[in-house]
Amino acid sequence: MANLEGEPVVQGATAALAVRTVPVAQAAPPSLWQVGQVWLLLGLQSFGGGTATLFLIRRAVVEQRGWLSPEVFTRDWALCQAAPGINLLCMTILIGRRVAGGAGALVAMLGLLLPSVTITILMTALYADLRHQPLVQAALRGVVPATVGLGLLLTANMAHPLLAVSKRESRSSLLASIFILVGSAVAVVVWHLPVLVVLLAAGAIGAWTMWRHAATQKAGRR
Amino acid sequence: MIEPLTYFWILLKASLFSTGGTGNLPSIHADLLARNWATDRQFAEALAIGQISPGPNGFWVICLGYLTDGVRGALLATLAISLPPVVVLAVAALHRRVGDHPAMQGFVRGLGLSVSGIFLVVVIQLLQEHGFEWRSGLIVLVSIALALTQRLPIPVLLGLAGLAGALIY
Repeated sequence: MANLEGEPVVQGATAALAVRTVPVAQAAPPSLWQVGQVWLLLGLQSFGGGTATLFLIRRAVVEQRGWLSPEVFTRDWALCQAAPGINLLCMTILIGRRVAGGAGALVAMLGLLLPSVTITILMTALYADLRHQPLVQAALRGVVPATVGLGLLLTANMAHPLLAVSKRESRSSLLASIFILVGSAVAVVVWHLPVLVVLLAAGAIGAWTMWRHAATQKAGRR
Repeated sequence: MIEPLTYFWILLKASLFSTGGTGNLPSIHADLLARNWATDRQFAEALAIGQISPGPNGFWVICLGYLTDGVRGALLATLAISLPPVVVLAVAALHRRVGDHPAMQGFVRGLGLSVSGIFLVVVIQLLQEHGFEWRSGLIVLVSIALALTQRLPIPVLLGLAGLAGALIY
């Protein structure tokens, strides 16, 4: 058996040692039914967005059941940042696959989605029924600016670590990052370029600048 | 009239070429508004419900699907946001091969910066559409301040904003 990274799973003497030093790690591989059960529970408790749910997932699969080591959990989460779509769903797929193969990924995904998607659709339907009530209208007029506030904060949270890393690299790296950030906004607002084109161009510029940066650094060290 | 296949494709490609649950917002916003299949108001409503409902915040797309195209839209949206994360398996395999190649890191960083820039534009448009005046400006500032303290869960914060709206409007 090999895990996703292609490394052989720790066996024999090393595993025995690992069990002695870290008592929760290296539990027996779970059945599909257990995987489904855990993720169904997670899906039901997943109020309060990403960070809260990630915390619950970690507690369930790392601390309580020992299906994954803390190191693997952290590395998986980093990979999810680079993958398309909702990070928590990426994480669900990766963990499901690790502990119970392709079927495990599917079962984990269904477990997480079924309760939360059903409740989300029911809540939206309820809102759609009530939306013309004057009280609901007034409440919404308060909720929308709050959503905008959270959106502004989210923008800052998304951009800040990227700009901070660029700043640490070099002045030109920081300038390139600011150029990508501002240029993307301008390209959409002023030139009305398709968003997808802007995103791909930004990715290409980012790849090129960082590649060049790495090359000049290597040359400098020589 | 909403054409289901095109609708699905718009949601799918936006999620495929972005990371995180709200990175797809700029692309979906541009495509659906151009076809008159959604309004700014529906985007604002969907984002708010997505924050309150269980599941990742990325489920806002499911709310948008329901508000614009009923149960069919909600199911199409669910499928469209469930498929792209599968690519993480390819990313994991690629990561095993090329590791942290600077070009790959740079691509992801460029994507993230671009999404942030366009996201800012969309958020400001939502506020303009909603009607910006001192009361909504105040709620924007107070909600940022409350979120920064990290004492309140987001659904409670939005509940308070709703209460404030019901009282002052």
